[in-house]
Amino acid sequence: MNIYVKLAYTLLGLLIVINWGMLMGATMRKIGARMAGRHGIPFHQPWINLLKNFSTRTTITHGIMYYLGPVFRLSGGVGLFLFMPMVFTGAVDGPWTNFSFEGDLVLILYFQVFGMLGMALGAGEGGHPYSAMGIARGLAQHAAVELPLTLAIVSIAIQYDTLSIYKIVEAQQGSILNWVLFTNPFAAAAIILAMLGALGHSPFNLVKAPNEILIGPATEYEGTYLGFMMTAGAVIHVMEAVLFMNLVFGGANSWLELIVKSFLIYFWSVFVGMVFPRFKIEQSITWFFKVPFVLGVLAILMYSF
Amino acid sequence: MQYLTLQNIGFATGFILILIGIWGFLTQKNIIKIIISFALFDTGTHLLLVAVAYIKDRTAPIIDSSVNSANAVNEIVDPVPHALALTAIVIGLGITALMLTFTLKLFKHKKSLDITKYKDLKW
Amino acid sequence: MVDPIHIISSALGVAFAIGIVGKLGKNVTIAVMLSTLAFMAFISLQWFMAFFSGEQETTQIFTAGFKPPISINLQMGFNEALFTLLVNVVGLLGGIYLIDIFKKQSKNVLTVFLVLIMGLNVIIMTRDIFNLFVFMEIVSISIAGLVFMDENLKSSQAGLKYLIATSVIAGMLLIGIIFAYYFTGTLNIDDLIATNLTTIKGGGIVVFLILISIILELKPFPANGWALDVYESSTPGLGAIISAAAATASFFVLSKVMDIAGQEWYYYISLIGAITFIGSNLLGLKQDNAKRLLGYSSIGQLGLLMIILGFRDILGDQTPYVIFGILVSHYFAKAGLFWLSGIVKAQKLTDWAVIRKKPFFLFLMGTFLFALIGFPPFPSFFAKWTLVMELVGSGNVTWVIIVLFGSMLEAVYLFRWFGYAIKGENEHLEVFKIDLHKMIPVWIVALALYAVGYFTAQMTEVGATINFIPLAFVGVLLAIDFLPVFVKNTIAIAGMLLHFYFVYPDLDDIRLLFEVIFIIGGALALIAGYAYKGKRSGFYPVAILMYAGLTGIIEASTTLEFFYGWELMTAGSYFLIIRGKRSMPHGLSYILFSIGGAYALLAGLGMAHVGHTTFGMDILNNIQYLPVWAYALIIIGFLTKTAALGLHIWLPGAHGEAESDVSPMVSAILLKAGVFGLVLVLIGMGAENNQYEMLTYALGWLGALTVILGSIMALFQEDAKRLLAYSSISQLGYIVLGLAVMSHLGWLGAFTYVINHFLYKFILFMTLGAVVLRVGTHNMYQMGGLIKRMPIAFIAVLISIIALAGIPPLSGFAGKWLFYNALIAKGWYFQGVITFISSGIAFLYLWRLIHTVFLGQLKDNHRNVKDISIWFSIPIFVLLIGLLTFSFKPEWVLQPLGNMIAEFFPTGQLTWNGGTAISQYGYWSGSVLGITIGSIFMLILIWLLVSTRKAHKVKQFDITYSGERPERPETTHVAYNVFEGVYKAIWIATIPLVETFWTRVTNLLHDTAGFTRRLYSGDGQSYMLHIVVFIVITYLVIIGG
Repeated sequence: MNIYVKLAYTLLGLLIVINWGMLMGATMRKIGARMAGRHGIPFHQPWINLLKNFSTRTTITHGIMYYLGPVFRLSGGVGLFLFMPMVFTGAVDGPWTNFSFEGDLVLILYFQVFGMLGMALGAGEGGHPYSAMGIARGLAQHAAVELPLTLAIVSIAIQYDTLSIYKIVEAQQGSILNWVLFTNPFAAAAIILAMLGALGHSPFNLVKAPNEILIGPATEYEGTYLGFMMTAGAVIHVMEAVLFMNLVFGGANSWLELIVKSFLIYFWSVFVGMVFPRFKIEQSITWFFKVPFVLGVLAILMYSF
Repeated sequence: MQYLTLQNIGFATGFILILIGIWGFLTQKNIIKIIISFALFDTGTHLLLVAVAYIKDRTAPIIDSSVNSANAVNEIVDPVPHALALTAIVIGLGITALMLTFTLKLFKHKKSLDITKYKDLKW
Repeated sequence: MVDPIHIISSALGVAFAIGIVGKLGKNVTIAVMLSTLAFMAFISLQWFMAFFSGEQETTQIFTAGFKPPISINLQMGFNEALFTLLVNVVGLLGGIYLIDIFKKQSKNVLTVFLVLIMGLNVIIMTRDIFNLFVFMEIVSISIAGLVFMDENLKSSQAGLKYLIATSVIAGMLLIGIIFAYYFTGTLNIDDLIATNLTTIKGGGIVVFLILISIILELKPFPANGWALDVYESSTPGLGAIISAAAATASFFVLSKVMDIAGQEWYYYISLIGAITFIGSNLLGLKQDNAKRLLGYSSIGQLGLLMIILGFRDILGDQTPYVIFGILVSHYFAKAGLFWLSGIVKAQKLTDWAVIRKKPFFLFLMGTFLFALIGFPPFPSFFAKWTLVMELVGSGNVTWVIIVLFGSMLEAVYLFRWFGYAIKGENEHLEVFKIDLHKMIPVWIVALALYAVGYFTAQMTEVGATINFIPLAFVGVLLAIDFLPVFVKNTIAIAGMLLHFYFVYPDLDDIRLLFEVIFIIGGALALIAGYAYKGKRSGFYPVAILMYAGLTGIIEASTTLEFFYGWELMTAGSYFLIIRGKRSMPHGLSYILFSIGGAYALLAGLGMAHVGHTTFGMDILNNIQYLPVWAYALIIIGFLTKTAALGLHIWLPGAHGEAESDVSPMVSAILLKAGVFGLVLVLIGMGAENNQYEMLTYALGWLGALTVILGSIMALFQEDAKRLLAYSSISQLGYIVLGLAVMSHLGWLGAFTYVINHFLYKFILFMTLGAVVLRVGTHNMYQMGGLIKRMPIAFIAVLISIIALAGIPPLSGFAGKWLFYNALIAKGWYFQGVITFISSGIAFLYLWRLIHTVFLGQLKDNHRNVKDISIWFSIPIFVLLIGLLTFSFKPEWVLQPLGNMIAEFFPTGQLTWNGGTAISQYGYWSGSVLGITIGSIFMLILIWLLVSTRKAHKVKQFDITYSGERPERPETTHVAYNVFEGVYKAIWIATIPLVETFWTRVTNLLHDTAGFTRRLYSGDGQSYMLHIVVFIVITYLVIIGG
């Protein structure tokens, strides 16, 4: 495919993802509000926020790293999108595969950190203890989530003898029974539990931790910076969901399927979050070392012999 | 009675003296007594030397009127151990003297001859 | 040539004449005596040269005009010439050393001294056993007499105990001699050997008495309390004579008399030697008195020599060489140390800290200690090498373990002592005076050690190939140590680059890679040295010593050369590490682990040599004798340097407390020496050999556990440099795991890690070191907000932590990608998961590092610090450029690396399509990644720049703590104990099991030593009991058993 056409498809995809991410975020907040008996925000609130943030008259900066933080964060989000095959069309070089090297798992897993790094360091320069606290917890929890997640992913990689997301999705085509959810239930279970941590809703919302450390690292930012952060947040939420969709739930053959599946995946974490209060960091970490970890080990044992 | 030769008596006495010496320096606390034990031990070894040299019916290895100098080799006992005994006695003398010197020095320091009092160096 | 009888006649004559000559005054008398000693030494030397040239044959000297057995005969052969030379030289030097005491004491002391040396000459030369007895007694009497040179309560006690003990021993000998004569009618040692006494009824006991008395003269453990007391209490000049001359002569006596007993005794002699060697060195652990410590060490060395003597049938032709090497090192070093102890006048080991007030004396002390332990270039190194080779070659692995374990114990206390000398508190100690006459002997023996070491190396075919030029360069730097840093630094860098220029054309690819890291990397690290002012005394010789060792292992064509380089490197790095302010305990644990590792390596190399006639490095490719064990030992040796889990406890302190520019040297560069070793040995094991699968499997797990535990430990450090040090442990774990995979991709991953770790750990340690120089603390919570003051340092750290964490697009990701592909292909899934988790944890500690140091609030006392020194920045930025190049054009490095590895692992290569690397599981391109991420990044950045061009710069203001000063300010810092929650979750993984293990081992050894040494109750009588019990037990074992 011509590189310019591909670029166009990619930009279009990015646009969809950003908007879908914002809409999804708003929907989830609405659901949460209704469950609490409130009316909640209007669906278009994220766009209003974005508009407001991009048009503030004054901005501040604490210094170069503070400045670069949102850049890292948004590059991280967009990069994640670029390295992920979105919609499976049956061709490696299809329109929605972006610049993904067929979706190399190692690349995706390591690139996740790129955005976190930016946010962590940028907020750090502001010097507010809350942001450092939120980051410390967030990074620690991320490392803990990786344990069951990696076990499961390795198990899937062994199962299909590849580290390419594209090939993993390809192998799940045909029937719902070909999904990893059914062919490798332990890995799927581990991932479904790990997802809760990765998506960062209660009980795993340690980074922003409302009422405790306000909103963590984001306390430091306003204006365009915050706009970048929010955009990145929207993209990253969708991308996390798409990653799990590709790994466990058979990928998507169309944007509609992608939207439905990512919504359900995301909803799962919101649903749990409605029921359970926030963990302390040590509780959160140990939680991943229990059931999800055992499931992950079983998943590998199942496929390594 | 055949074992009761002069030579065997010499051996036996020598060994008894040696054993008394060993017993002495292992049990006596008084330094002077230890030195005496050593002297006994030493004397025992000298006796052994003489006993080794002994050959029945022969005379001392000194060429004088009682020995026919032409046939001396067959008339005297083995002279070598006697020479050794002389040397050993001299050495024993030197050592005993030196030990006593040390004892004297120690006595000047602590006014005691009890060897268990001199344990400043250990471990 | 002068008849050797004149050694005796001149000594005796002058000894008698001193009575008359004494009237001419003290100085004349002393001069006469010293010239006599010189004359005696000259005679020995003359004979020695004659024998050495091979023109002279052994001659017999008959006294009184008769032949034995009627008369006493002396023998002068090669051995006698050598041993009398040793005795007379130390006699002469010792005499010079004692001049001040001679002047104070009566002239009779001179007589006694001369008689002592003469007596030692006779017991070496005589072939008459009764004569031997007589002169052994004379020696005992003279030694006891010389105790009076420095008479006090302690020395008199020691003298008395010594005298009683030696007389009883001599009494036993006399009884043996009497019956030997009774049974055989001869006193001549040769005749006694010929008569085969042991076959005669009752002859066994006779032989037993003779030999056991002579062994007792060698102070076997534990029947040696009497000797220790003399070492401790007598004047150091006498200690030197006893240790160097008397012990040497006694040892020679045993070697000539033991043939009376025949071969069945050899084993027992070795056994007694082993008990003595281990026992003595074990008890040395608990000593805090320098001279008593030297006593224990001397006795230990005699034990080692007895072990060797017992193996003389097995060692064959090599026996004299081995004995010579060990004996001569001990002889020079012990004499030197005793003399030094007289100059320094420090009783307690901790008081030896005073010695570094005169750095040259510290150098002398180091020379002696390293010679004792067997470091190159000293003779003991070559002797120990040969000994181990021969012992392993004959299947006596247990004995190798005994020898090495005993040596290890000795190294513990000697290096602890050295640590006190280098780093101990010495403010309160008064500097010592130096008399010229005391200094000259010490100086001569130190010089002799180097000379004899060189000579010893040349005596063997394999030793002669060693390149001594780098070592000579170290000597040059030592000589110009008085010059300012700038000059020395330039010379050092030039020397290293020149060396590289000459060496690199002859190296194969793997060696070239490591040589670049070692030498070019080393030269870069030295550039930072320009930042230092003044002389930086002692830094350059030891730094170059380390690099000499590193290049030595690269250039090695034989295993001996390799081991030689390895030990030089160890010694150099030890000195480098211990230069840090609080490095003493860490330097000690570093050197002990290194020596332990080196011994494992030595044993392994010994096993590798079995079945081969040469010592070429290629013997590693084909080990025939117990290959799994041999490889395992060699690998363990290397793992101590890569700080694998269990062997890592030395690293954090050593790297963390080292000087700012030393940390990158010992971390980024030195650790690769272990990796290089592993690479060699794994190549040797071969890719296809199933025999070693267990070994590589275990190695892989070890690597994986090292990775995870290293990063977990890094997580909880408050000290920036220790954090980096633990991170190194973890990173080296990746390399070990990658190599253990034994596949093309695994090795490619491991080599990528080698390069990456060199690049980013160099930058990180260098930068943090430079920051520490500016802010004066390692503790992260005492820093903060430094980005405002040190943007250059921040950028360097930022880029390198992105690389270290493996975040795309920087080069760390290349390593990770290769790594997981390799692990999945190998089927090592859990290891893969473990290492993956570790990179998450790595990200945690790296964030902590950069956040705490550079971000957050600037500390009040750092408001005016400058950015890091330009001299530190130069190497940092050179390597940053390297890091970025490697990141965006990985194929420039990985393709040649792949070709190099394909030589050993031809299958499963990475396929290259332009810049895209393709493996079985996926593909990836460094340049595309770089361009993609870079362009998004730039786009967003530009957007931000445009939209926030009017941003207002916020200044920092102080946060108040509710108007109160907190008791522990660090607890209010958010970064302090920031991972407390994580700790609560995974504290179980941080229990210092390994530290606890090694502490327990150490305590066990020390407690055993502390308990056992109560044997030496100080009671002269109990020493007698020891002797008697020793005789009875050995009798029961040898005869009655």
